[in-house]
Amino acid sequence: MSYLVRLFLVSVFIPLFSTDLTAAKVEVDPGTWGHPAGEKCVSCHQKASAGLTAQWQQSAHAKAGVNCMDCHRAEAGEVDAREHEGEVIATIVSPRDCGRCHKVEQEQQQGSVHAEAVALIEDRLPAFVQNLTGPAVLATGCAQCHGSRVQVRGDGTLDVATWPNSGIGRVNPDGSKGSCSSCHGRHRFSRAQAREPEACVRCHSGPDSPDKDIFEASKHGMAFAAQRAEMNLESAQWVAGKDYTAAPTCATCHMGAAGKLPSTHDVGMRNAWKLNSPVSEKEHLVVFQGGDKRELPESVPPPRRDSELAKTDGSMGRVSQVATPERRRQAMTLVCLECHGKGFATAFMSQFDSLVELFNDKFAKPARGIMAELYSRKLLTPTPFDEPIEFTYWELWHDEGARARHGAAMASPNHTWWEGMYLVGSKFYGQFLPQVRALAGTAAEEILSAQLGKDDQHAWLREPNRPYPILGTFPFPAAEKSP
Amino acid sequence: MNRSSFRGFITRPVLIALVIGICGGAGSILFLLEFDHYTSSNAFCTGCHSMSFAAESYRRSVHYNSPSGVRAECGDCHVSKGVFAATWDHTMGIKDLLKQFFGPNYEDPVINALHLPEAAFAARAWFRKQDSATCKSCHELSAIQGKRPDTQAIHRDETKGKSCIDCHYNLVHRQVPDEKTFKREAWNRMIEEEFKLAPGTAAKLLGEKH
Repeated sequence: MSYLVRLFLVSVFIPLFSTDLTAAKVEVDPGTWGHPAGEKCVSCHQKASAGLTAQWQQSAHAKAGVNCMDCHRAEAGEVDAREHEGEVIATIVSPRDCGRCHKVEQEQQQGSVHAEAVALIEDRLPAFVQNLTGPAVLATGCAQCHGSRVQVRGDGTLDVATWPNSGIGRVNPDGSKGSCSSCHGRHRFSRAQAREPEACVRCHSGPDSPDKDIFEASKHGMAFAAQRAEMNLESAQWVAGKDYTAAPTCATCHMGAAGKLPSTHDVGMRNAWKLNSPVSEKEHLVVFQGGDKRELPESVPPPRRDSELAKTDGSMGRVSQVATPERRRQAMTLVCLECHGKGFATAFMSQFDSLVELFNDKFAKPARGIMAELYSRKLLTPTPFDEPIEFTYWELWHDEGARARHGAAMASPNHTWWEGMYLVGSKFYGQFLPQVRALAGTAAEEILSAQLGKDDQHAWLREPNRPYPILGTFPFPAAEKSP
Repeated sequence: MNRSSFRGFITRPVLIALVIGICGGAGSILFLLEFDHYTSSNAFCTGCHSMSFAAESYRRSVHYNSPSGVRAECGDCHVSKGVFAATWDHTMGIKDLLKQFFGPNYEDPVINALHLPEAAFAARAWFRKQDSATCKSCHELSAIQGKRPDTQAIHRDETKGKSCIDCHYNLVHRQVPDEKTFKREAWNRMIEEEFKLAPGTAAKLLGEKH
């Protein structure tokens, strides 16, 4: 890419996405940390909880003189404040607490798809937690990735149904959202650990987003495994193309600084597509004055600067900036360009887009349309998951459908095909359509032809006499041949 | 006083008075000892329905069910050792008795729970004032071993200037936050939820004259 194009892109992204070129340095006066009472904690905690104390002692925090009280101190009036050995502290160190020093990171993180991870699944919880399983799964399953709404009881204890929790979108007693320790394991807060793909695996695994597996099965993962020693993971500054060139990790593409592209703690910022949805759509990222964010489908015209728009919580906000899907894609592509040519990167993105569109057009939209029709004709009850086809539909988009799209996004052929689109096809033709026919009976043909009839991609179903050798060569009876 | 005048002093009435005095004094002391002993017992303390709530949490605590078979009774923690100090503590306890008769209806579990924090704060202040003397009447700092080696080290190295109660509160009875961080509103809400009462009931109950 020419220097001018790069300059243009950088001038567009820097003001929007960060205030600094690399990971933001803490710009707080060192005199503000080193709480006098914090020194006293260590002697006892060395004995009472030697592990966490040793982790802190190895941390950059300890070396800089940041002690227990600098992070855990609280005002008596705070909801979760409690007395401990004569001091007032809070167990939970929230992003707001970390933001006392790490201001830029906190601002970027607030409003990100990570910080909003609770809202993302809340409308699914009644079906999954109340009906399909039971409340115990919320604390141990859902909320451990998405985050809990931490409740402080009147006796000052943290409600055990909501704590311990380090879900990425945890709603903290102080109202802030997120848990920095979700990726930056306490109490060492190792840079290297957060840059490893392992930092993401606790949640980016499983049927809908096996992203660590996808990464490992890709050329990127192959390079990382082979050249891990050259990753410079402990380096204070970690700019792709400058401080390391061996391989990218999850953090490199989704958050990391690359060339002149600044790093960001808004992990979804560079994603043009919303992949984990029944039908994928590209999305605008809207930044409100004051820093709140929301996403809007590409089909909606982007709101103008200074216009009013509802935020995710329903309150009204004033639009500060909008990143269109193209600009988000450009940001991601800037990372690619540190190792790939522009043509290569654009072509890769186009292959990825085609797969998403294939899933959307051939399977996702018709399946969604068919389900809507079944509900409106009362062939299905409104309660989710009390009929087998509801599981089929859910898994079609949420499991194999998402897996295929993630596989294409991150270049794992196996996840795109065998773990993804192959299963989408087999489930769609082998389970979903037969279930529709069984449910709809005589109305089935009408429903199916309305959704599939126009699409040539399903025309093969109308040609039952075209053999391929894939299942072996079977002798076909002469009667089957045209007379 | 010379010998003869001393003899003159020991008249029959004096002798009788002395005998009565000594016997009466000894009797009183014996009475107080027995009285303090009886009024420190679990049976006496939990005789009031109001105290049954405190007894409930106590019965779940290790001070009631210790693996060694030693059981601390109410008075072992809440009444000072020594007949005069114990008598003094019991005399002071009369105010609780007056509150029981003329104050809020502590027999009501909701009223009891609503007033619990202030009772806890008072009890903690008392322990602090005594420098946790009643704890120390059983527990010897230098003999504390614990299940982990760290427990012994912490009690050896980290306890200077501290009294047992500074760390070991919320040990026996229902959890109450420290006074510094206590939030009446949140406590009321918790009790309302626990007893399925309409929001605001707690404040009304606390405001009512009894």
